[in-house]
Parts: sequence; structure tokens; C-alpha cells
Amino acid sequence: MGTVENLLLGFSVALQPDVLWYALLGCLVGTIVGVLPGIGPLSGISILLPATFGLDTTKSVVMLAGIYYGSQYGGSTTSILMRIPGEAASVMTCIDGYAMAQKGRAGAALCIAAVGSWIAGTFGVIMLTLIAPPLASFALRFGPPEYTALLVLGLIFLAYMSSTSLPRTLLMACFGLLLGTIGIDNMTGHFRYSFDIAELGDGIGIVPVAIGLFGLGEILSTPSANVISKVIAPKLRQLLPNRREWRQSAMPIARGSVLGFLIGLTPGSAHIISSFLSYAIERRVSKHPEEFGKGAVAGVAGPESANNAASTGAFVPMLALGLPTGPITAVLIAALMIHGVPPGPTLVNEHPNIFWGFVASMYVGNLMLLALNLPLVGIFVNILRIPYAYLYPLVIMFCIIGVYEVSHSIVDVWIMLIMGIIGYGLRKFGFDPAPLVLGLVIAPTLEMSLRQSLIMSNGNWTIFLQRPISLTLLVVCGALLALAALSLIRSRKDWRSRLAEAETGENQ
Amino acid sequence: MTLRSDHIAGGVFVAFGLLVFALSGDLPVGTLSFPGAGMMPKLVAGLVILFGLLLILRANESAPFATVRWEDLPHAARIVAITAAAIALYQTLGFLVTMTLLLFALTFGAERRHPLAAAAFSIGVVALTYLLFAVALKTPLEPGILGF
Repeated sequence: MGTVENLLLGFSVALQPDVLWYALLGCLVGTIVGVLPGIGPLSGISILLPATFGLDTTKSVVMLAGIYYGSQYGGSTTSILMRIPGEAASVMTCIDGYAMAQKGRAGAALCIAAVGSWIAGTFGVIMLTLIAPPLASFALRFGPPEYTALLVLGLIFLAYMSSTSLPRTLLMACFGLLLGTIGIDNMTGHFRYSFDIAELGDGIGIVPVAIGLFGLGEILSTPSANVISKVIAPKLRQLLPNRREWRQSAMPIARGSVLGFLIGLTPGSAHIISSFLSYAIERRVSKHPEEFGKGAVAGVAGPESANNAASTGAFVPMLALGLPTGPITAVLIAALMIHGVPPGPTLVNEHPNIFWGFVASMYVGNLMLLALNLPLVGIFVNILRIPYAYLYPLVIMFCIIGVYEVSHSIVDVWIMLIMGIIGYGLRKFGFDPAPLVLGLVIAPTLEMSLRQSLIMSNGNWTIFLQRPISLTLLVVCGALLALAALSLIRSRKDWRSRLAEAETGENQ
Repeated sequence: MTLRSDHIAGGVFVAFGLLVFALSGDLPVGTLSFPGAGMMPKLVAGLVILFGLLLILRANESAPFATVRWEDLPHAARIVAITAAAIALYQTLGFLVTMTLLLFALTFGAERRHPLAAAAFSIGVVALTYLLFAVALKTPLEPGILGF
């Protein structure tokens, strides 16, 4: 079947009333998750994961993905109205979005952010429709050596793209890989580091680690006294931008869409990095760079488009290769696997209903978000008025329920608490916990494919250099490491260090 | 020499790597043609030690340890203690009782809100959540001593 026929099949699934309902529910919850500071898309998806157990695979993935891209829309509301990023990818929107709000243009900023997000999200889905199926067919040629090389490349790319230093990122990824080795060794049946705790035999789950690090860890690092709820409330009739503002936002939206999608394909916090890079590019190409920081329309349109396109781009490696590019796609992979559907090349070919239904639902979901975000802005503003002292106990309760309900294991809830404390400590020492989750997710596949490769070659390490695809991937790894080493030796600030400095500056 | 945050962080990770080696004594490394259960953990533990040492060597780029701010630690410790108590009691007391106590302890105990407001908030939120999960989403929550 061609792409058009497949897409029609997808729409026949996505437009069923019950699938539409779960897409709407996901988008609504995602927007609320994005609006509320302190609750990221990862916590939202993880907490609602158990609620999808009774649903079929398509509905549950459609709902969980809706939370993800919905949160990218919602994050802009808090940034523009409160100057607090609802989630990390909206940090850059705070600067010019809030400045526009102070000038009485809050409605226009919200509208530009929503329209930009819709255009970028739809562009991302079109690219996903075109790229994912051929990539999945290509990935069918991958054997254990190619998968080993691909996963190593993923880790090195993550470290290279990270705004923290290379050793710090790789250290976090290795910590995650070590956690991933806990449990029964699939090849020999040895128990590893389970300390006679039966529940650890199956290994450490992604959900307790992700919720602990990102949900609880964030709460522990945020004293309630520091959260001030001062909201600028726009009036509905002020929502439309004027002609000049539309004109100023057109090119930043286009650039943000392309840039965001490309960065979304790479491992790491793509939606965060894309919004920072988009802001930097817009300031560089602008004829009036002095307006940035004082309410430049491009400073809202570019980053908001980029983070939405990036969140859609992240679905390409997840769906086509079965590779998570970040903790959120890792939890979505876990959701698919809980329903007995392995993501990767076989998903596209053996479960076309799920794959194309999911893709089609994203076209519909983006449209729903555009329709939801602007008229309901008044309701979202009221949610922002809930005092943080009442909000975070609620989040802790949902964290406990979310983790416990996955496998009814109290050990998992203890793991969540321990990971929350570790997350607090990591933040104090300037570590980004995202690579840890990524390491944990890829650990079983990496170990299995590495050991299978060595068994295939009778212990000959050069097997990775003898096969063209794995050789190409390893050459790219070498080039990235060489580039990182070069900037280290020359002690020169490249774009990554400048990005880190900008990120630190904006967060203060 | 000024003690910097990366000296501490690197030291912790080196110690963690060594601990993994110590705990991996009975795991066979195997051979290259048939790697054992201990190969991957020992390989990665070695990398953790290596990157930990790198962090210590480049610690001058990090902030002095004395400048790391810990004002939020008492608040974080209160939350951890209350959450730990809730986890310990969850399977015995069940969702309704444990979560009501957890929310009340956090809003009244940790946040010093008015006891009546904290109690109304705790009971109301737990009842709504129970209805949402157990009735609307058909996801049974831990029954505990109440039996439902």
C-alpha cells in the first residue's frame, strides 16, 4: 500500500468516536500538565500509564502521545502569563512572551504560540508520515552489530548535544546502564544485584525511575515559598494578533518547524535544545535584535514552533527503529510493550492499524489543541491560581498511585522515592538526569546485542568494523568524539557551551 | 586547595563504581566468544570510575562546594519523611486512609496551612481521585483495612 492508502487507513482508525475521545482527553490533560509548573509531560504520562491498561493499544498510545504534544502547547501559557516555564522547553518563551504580556499583547502572544505550535506540529507529522515507513524498512537490515553501533552512537550523540559537559552526560548514561543491568541476566539466568528481593528479579522499571527523578526530584528541589502565583489574565477579544505581528511571526514559525523537526530526530532533550537554538537563530537573523527581550514576536513564534516540531520528530526513531531519544519516548515505548506491541520496524509492517492510526490521530490532535488552547485560556489561567502548597501534595499522591498501579509493587514505590532523593542530589551538583533514564532504557538491548555480536563473531571485536552500516555508525561516533575533544583541547567555547551559558542565564 | 562540587560528585561516582565491582565478585565475566553475566556491569562500572576521575581532574571548572545552596534541604527532608511514612503504610491502610493522611500531613504539617482547610482539601481530593480511578477509569486502588 502507498502512503496515501495507509494514511486513509489511519484516519479510519483515528476518526472513530472512542479514539477521538481519548485523543481529546490526552490533549486536554497534556495542556494542563504543560500549564502547571513543576509537572512535566513525563510525570503526566507516567502517572496516567496505569489508567490505559484497560484500553486497547491504539487508544492508550494516542492518549499518552496527546499528553506529550499537548504539554508543549500548554507550556507557553504559563511562560507568557506568569514568566514561569510550565515545562523546560518553554524557558525561552518566558523572555519575549512575558514582555509582550506586559505591553498588553498577552492574547496575541498566546495566539501566535498556539498557531505556530499547530503549524510546526502538523509539519512534523507530515515528515513523520513520509520518513518513518522507509526508515523502518531500512532498519529491517539491522542485526546485533548494527544495533550495538546505533545505540552507542545514540549515547555519544546525546553527550555531544548536551549542554552539560561530555563526561557528566556519559557518567549519567553509564549510571543508567548500570541500573539497567539489575535483575535476571536473560542469557545465563544469573541474578544480578537483586539482594534477595524478588521484585528486583525483573529489573528496575522505567516508570519509578522516571517519576522519581523528574516528578518527585523536581518537587524536592522547589520549596513552596519560592513559587509565586502572579498571573496576567488576557481578555478573549484581545487574542487576535494584528497584521504586523502575523507578518513578523511567519518566517520564525517556518524556520522553527524545520529546525525543531531535525533536532527532534536526535537523542537528548531535543524539544528543549531546539527552542534555545531557535531563539538564538531568530535573534541572529533579525533586523532588530535589540527588540529581543523586550517583546519580539519572533522570540515567541520561533521557539514555540521548534519545541512542537521536535516533540513530533522524536516519534520517528521511536516508531521506526524502536529507539527512545529521551525519557518521554522511553515511557511511550514501555506503554507499547505493556500492550504486547514491540515498537520498531515490525510495528510499521505488522501493526499498520496501530502505526497509521497513531500518525493520523496526531493530525487530528494538533487541530484539537489549536481549538482548545485559545478559547479555554481563561480556565487554564484559573488552574494557575492553585497555590503550590496544595498542588505538590496532589502530585506526590499521583506519583505514588502511578508507580504502584503499574505492577502493584511497593518496592517500585520505594525505588521512586530513592530516585527522587537521587534526582534532588543530581540537581544540586548540576547533573542532567535525562541521560540516566535513557541509559536504563537501552541497557537490556545494548547488552543483548553486544553479547550476541561477540557470540556471532566467535569473540572477534572487528565484527563491528566489517559490516558497512555498523562501520558507518562507528565512524560518526569517532567524528563526534573528536569534535568534542578538539573543543576541549582548544578550551574554546563552541555553540554547546554558549547554549549552556544562555540556559543558565535564563534560568536565574 | 578549594574543595569543589565536582570533587565530591566525582568521588561519589568513583566509590559507586568500586562498590559495583565489589558486589560483582560472583558474576562471571565469561570469554569474548561467550560473554558472561558480569561482563556488561564490570565494563560500565569501569567507565563510571573513569568518568568520575575525569570529573575530579577537571573539578576546577566547577563551583566551590561551599557555595552549593542547601536552604531547601529541611523542606525536602520533611517531604521525604512524610512520603516514606505513606509508602510504608500504603498496603496496610489502603488508598483512602493513607492518601488522606499524606495530603493532610503535607498541607498542614509541612506547609502550615489552616488545619480545617487542609482537612477539607485532603478528604475532598482523595474522594474525587477514588471516584475517578475506581469508578470512571475502572482501575482498582489498594483496598487496605477498609476492604474497598
